[in-house]
Formats: sequence, structure tokens, C-alpha cells
Amino acid sequence: MKKASVILLIVLVLIQFILPVRRNHSGQANPQDISRVYPVPEKIQRLLNNACYDCHSNNTRYPWYANLQPASWWIDSHIKKGKAALNFNEFGRYPPRRRQSKLKSIASSIEDGTMPLASYTLIHESARLSKADKEVIKDWIDQTWDSLSQNK
Amino acid sequence: MKNIILSLAASVLFFSACNSGTKSADRPSVEHTATPSTDTAASKAGQPGLTKIIDVYLQMKNALTRDNDKDAAAAGLNLARAISSIEATSLPPGQAKVFSDIADDVKEHAEHIGANAGNIKHQREHFETLSQDIYDLVKAGVSTSTKLYFDHCPMYNNNKGANWLSETKKISNPYLGQSMPDCGTVKEELNN
Repeated sequence: MKKASVILLIVLVLIQFILPVRRNHSGQANPQDISRVYPVPEKIQRLLNNACYDCHSNNTRYPWYANLQPASWWIDSHIKKGKAALNFNEFGRYPPRRRQSKLKSIASSIEDGTMPLASYTLIHESARLSKADKEVIKDWIDQTWDSLSQNK
Repeated sequence: MKNIILSLAASVLFFSACNSGTKSADRPSVEHTATPSTDTAASKAGQPGLTKIIDVYLQMKNALTRDNDKDAAAAGLNLARAISSIEATSLPPGQAKVFSDIADDVKEHAEHIGANAGNIKHQREHFETLSQDIYDLVKAGVSTSTKLYFDHCPMYNNNKGANWLSETKKISNPYLGQSMPDCGTVKEELNN
């Protein structure tokens, strides 16, 4: 039993050295951020920052345990997939049609609860969206979507 | 001895399960541009490719009408593949611009539908926007193998309504499926 624990410990120590941890930090202002393209009320921006931006932007606020493996791998994987699906900082680069599709997806994801990820909100209390929060976000999306359709 | 093997196996499993995707290349998340075609004779090849897109879309529509999420997902993957294989530069200029604009969106929705067998509700959400994209494609002049009908269902999505394209004049509703297959009206006939 003691031997098994020692081996596990060695493995845990070894994996800390295996792969470098990538950092999602752009260190720059984001001219293509969604807020530069559409009016985003402060309250909405705060909700988006807390509930979404860690995985869906170019700047992640990493917790202390992100320096440890295997947490680092897991987090990196979430960020990579998140950014590929939606990146708020690059929203301005999306062609109009794609913007509308993304807005629709955001609304339906938070409505059916698939986003933010349960594993994320479990750890990050500030990321939890109340029913009222969701309504506010959805209303904002509706307005933005409507204004997009009119400008086609 | 058994404990050592067990804990070694557990460790390997543990960090191989978490080691997903760190070595794979980054997928671009910004605007997608079509790569130029080197084969100029492919200019005529664009049309059959586009017709295929409409056909696969109709297969997807029919699957949703039957409440068959698995077939819809299969059609989704086919559609994503089909649209990726078309070079915008092989199309006449008027269509090329519209096509580039629409293609990315179609591909994403098709992929999502492909990834959501088992969640027909989610597939139908994406199908709504996809239908609008395909409609725009047809209106831009893409020729179709058959006459198409642009249909409207007023009840879907809490009465917000949604549209779809059909090859039959008879209404077969992909949004409500077998629960209400006849719901809807023909809004427009498309003769391409």
C-alpha cells in the first residue's frame, strides 16, 4: 500500500514536467470584441466576463491550480474548444450571418443550461447565472439580433 | 504488487484521459477564407456540388420530419463535408460572394446537427438557421435538381415560427415531426 502511494506520487510529480502549460493571454486591447461592435450594457458585460470569458475570449483568468497537471490539461482543453466555438474578443471578425447564428446559440445554450459548463460553475460561484441573469442576457441578445436583421 | 499495478494503471488512465488535444493543431476561430482552386476546369464542377448540398439538406429535412435524429445527424455530417469541398472561386462571381458568406454558417450548423444525435430539439434549432441559409443560397441562383417550396410553420418555438425548404408541395413539418406533420403553409415556390 505504501509502495503504491509512492508510485502515484512519483507519477504526479513527473507529469508536472511533461508538457508546458499554455497561457491564454493576449495582453492587448481587443478591437474586435463584441462590445466594440454592439452596445453592451455594463451589467451584461459583467455577466459575460464572469460566466463566459474565461473559455470564450483571448484572456483567461487562471486559478492557482491551473499550474498543476492534470488540471492544466483539462483547462487548456476547455479553452481551446471554447474559443473555437465562440470567441467574444473576435466577434467583430465574424461575418454578419455568423454573428447572428452565434447570438442565437448563446441564447439557447444558456436557456437550456448547457452553458456555462456545470464543471465550471461548480468551482466558480460568480459564473452562476440566475434565472433573472439569463432573462437579461436573452433580452439583450434579442435586441441585438433584431438590430442585426434590420441592418442586413 | 497488485496495488502497484493498479495505481500505475490508474495513473496512466488518468493522465491519458486528460491529455486530449494538447498536441493537435489549433483550429482557427476567426473568419474562414476559401482556398483558391488550382484547377480552372473546376468552374463547371461547382454547380453539381451545390445541387448536392440542396439534396443533402432535403434528406436532413425528411429525417427530422420522421423524428429521426440519427439520420439527421448523418445528413449533417454529409452536408458539412459537401459544402467544404466546394471552392468559392469555381463559381460565377455573383454566386461566389454569396456562397462564401453562407458556406461557413452552413458548415457550422451542419456540424452541430451532426454532433447532436439524441438531441433532436437542438438539431431543430440549428436546422432553422440552416434553412434560412439554404433558402438564401437558392435565391442567389443556385440551380436545384427539383422544384422547391418554401414553407412556414407558425407554431414552432412558442409560436415564433420557422421556415424550411421542401421538394414536395404537400406539407411535411420537420420542426414538429410526427406530432403535427401537416402544420404549415407554402409561402413561396422556387423554380431554379
